[in-house]
Formats: sequence, structure tokens, C-alpha cells
Amino acid sequence: MRYGLVVMGGPYSHQASHSALRFAHALVDRGHRLETVFFYHDGVYNASRLAAPPQDEPHLGDAWLRLAESQGTALLVCVAAALRRGMTDEREARRHGKPAYNVEPPFELTGLGQLVEASLTHDRLVTFSP
Amino acid sequence: MILHLLNRSPASSGVAHEMLRTMGADDRLLLIEAGVYGAVEPQAALFSALEGRCFALLEDLASRGLTGCCASWVTPLDMQGFVTLTEETQRTVSWF
Amino acid sequence: MDDPQTMLVVLRHAPHDSSWLREGLDVALVAAALGQDVTLLFLGDGVEALRSGQQAGPLGQKGSHTTLDMLAMYDIEDIRVDAASLAARGLTVAELDWPVTPVTSDVLPGLFATSASVFNF
Repeated sequence: MRYGLVVMGGPYSHQASHSALRFAHALVDRGHRLETVFFYHDGVYNASRLAAPPQDEPHLGDAWLRLAESQGTALLVCVAAALRRGMTDEREARRHGKPAYNVEPPFELTGLGQLVEASLTHDRLVTFSP
Repeated sequence: MILHLLNRSPASSGVAHEMLRTMGADDRLLLIEAGVYGAVEPQAALFSALEGRCFALLEDLASRGLTGCCASWVTPLDMQGFVTLTEETQRTVSWF
Repeated sequence: MDDPQTMLVVLRHAPHDSSWLREGLDVALVAAALGQDVTLLFLGDGVEALRSGQQAGPLGQKGSHTTLDMLAMYDIEDIRVDAASLAARGLTVAELDWPVTPVTSDVLPGLFATSASVFNF
């Protein structure tokens, strides 16, 4: 089946990101396809390339990257939720006159329309909330 | 048939009661994260009518020191079992 | 986009305390703009969104009344409110500012079961 996940919890603040990653690996192990992870609400912080957790803690950002590399999963970040929270890619940083950016591919700033689209086209959509 | 995911315990929040009012007769419930505190008595009493369709995520029970503590009407389930539940139900609704 | 399906957006958080209500309404508006048939359900503290007399916050936080005013423009007309949640908060349908349909506990499971997708905020 084609799966999509929605992550609404901030990394290291709530368990939601950890639960979503565990579920992601399990569904792939069972032969399903993880097409999309959509980050919304505080979940957008998962997309920061600047996260520097202590060595003895799981690196959630790297775990999402590995998933995108190995499964071809799209990592979609709600642009409105992201910009409000200081999460921006190079293009939006330039557009808003910001001196730096913290979102890079494969994370992709996108609109809520992609979330609606995922709900229509995926067989399953599972949400992990804080 | 809907799979409801709940990550709050009955004692901590009113959301468990709201969720129960929306559950259909065949719907399943999976307790995850802090929701697994609700798998243990006396809190588990709220879910006693859901015997056979009430589950709790094993790894969240284990990390909280609750392995083997589930009420008899709550079935512990591993992550693969979680995926299986999402296969068997048409959609999931997350309560938080 | 595929054929229209009914999307249920459940709003369970009060305005001002958090962004859940606003972000949930944003999903509803975008879905409606893309041609989806959206039903809103105000449940639990979410019914506080409909209380009249709300204002912007002291720092200019907008709240959600302006967004609620846009629902009709987006053809979101099926607005349900959980009657028990209203009663528990001393509210009645008559005093709300928007045309809403009160629903009783017995119809809630059917509302969830018949929706093609459910977003719970």
C-alpha cells in the first residue's frame, strides 16, 4: 500500500517524531511504500539542518534524510507553518530578506494543498501529534 | 472501520472521552506514547467495553515500565502489529 | 484533483491558546479551495471558537473569527457542533455567531465513518 505520514510534533519536544520514524521503518519492513511525510504545526522543526543533538541521542533529522534516500519518500514541509517559526529554505530566505536558511533538499517547503492531495491519493495517512 | 490512535491517558485529559463518543461499534483503538498509561488498571476501566479491539503499543509500555501490566481486555502489540492494524482498517484518526 | 469526497475536519482546541484551531481551519479552507466537500466538526474546547464577542489578543493576535467569516466564501457550509460540548460550557446554539448544526452523541460515529478522510486538530 501507499502510505503517507503527517508529523505535527516538534523533534526532541514530543515523542511524535520518534513514533513516526519507528512506524515508517515498520511499514517499509512489511513491504509497503512510504510516499510522503508531511510536516505541519511544530513538526516543521524536523526539517532544520542545524539541529545538533548530543551524540548519545538519536539524530532525527538524519533519520528522515536516510528515509528519503532509501525509500524515495517526499519530505514536505508546510511553508506557512515553517516561515512563521523561522524555518526557511534558500529561496524563501532571499524573498524575505533573511540572512540565513535552515531547510535544504530533500526537505521541501510546500503548501497545504500537498497534504490534501496526499489524503486523496495515498491508501493510508497516519498522523503523529504531540 | 477506523483505527483510533490515542496518546493521552484518561486521567490526564478529556480527549479519551471525546474519542470514545466518536467510535463506531467495529472501530479499533491503539494506545500509544502516554496513552499506554490508560492500558493499566484502574485507568483501563474506561476501555473495558472495547475488549478484542483495544491495543497498546508494546515498546511504549516497555519504555514506561509497564510491560506485563495491561488490563486483560487490552492487547499489547508491537510496531509490526501497529502497521497491520492500519492495513486492516480503512483510515486512522489521531487523538492528542 | 480526484472527484470530490467528504473531508471531515475536527476542531477540538480553543482559540488564542494555541495554533491548532487556526492550522486546522487552514487545512479546511485549502481543501475546499481544491474542490473538496468539507465538513467541520467543533468538539470539546473547539466549540469556544464560536463564542461571540471575541477580540484580537493584546499583541494583535488575530484569533480565528476572521477565518470563520471566510467559510461561506469557500463554500464550507456543513458546520456541526457537538451539543454535549456546548452544554458542558454553558453555550447554546442560539447565541453562536455562525449557522451551525448541533449534533448528538449517537450521530458522531456515523459522521466519522462516512467521511473519506478525517483531519483531527
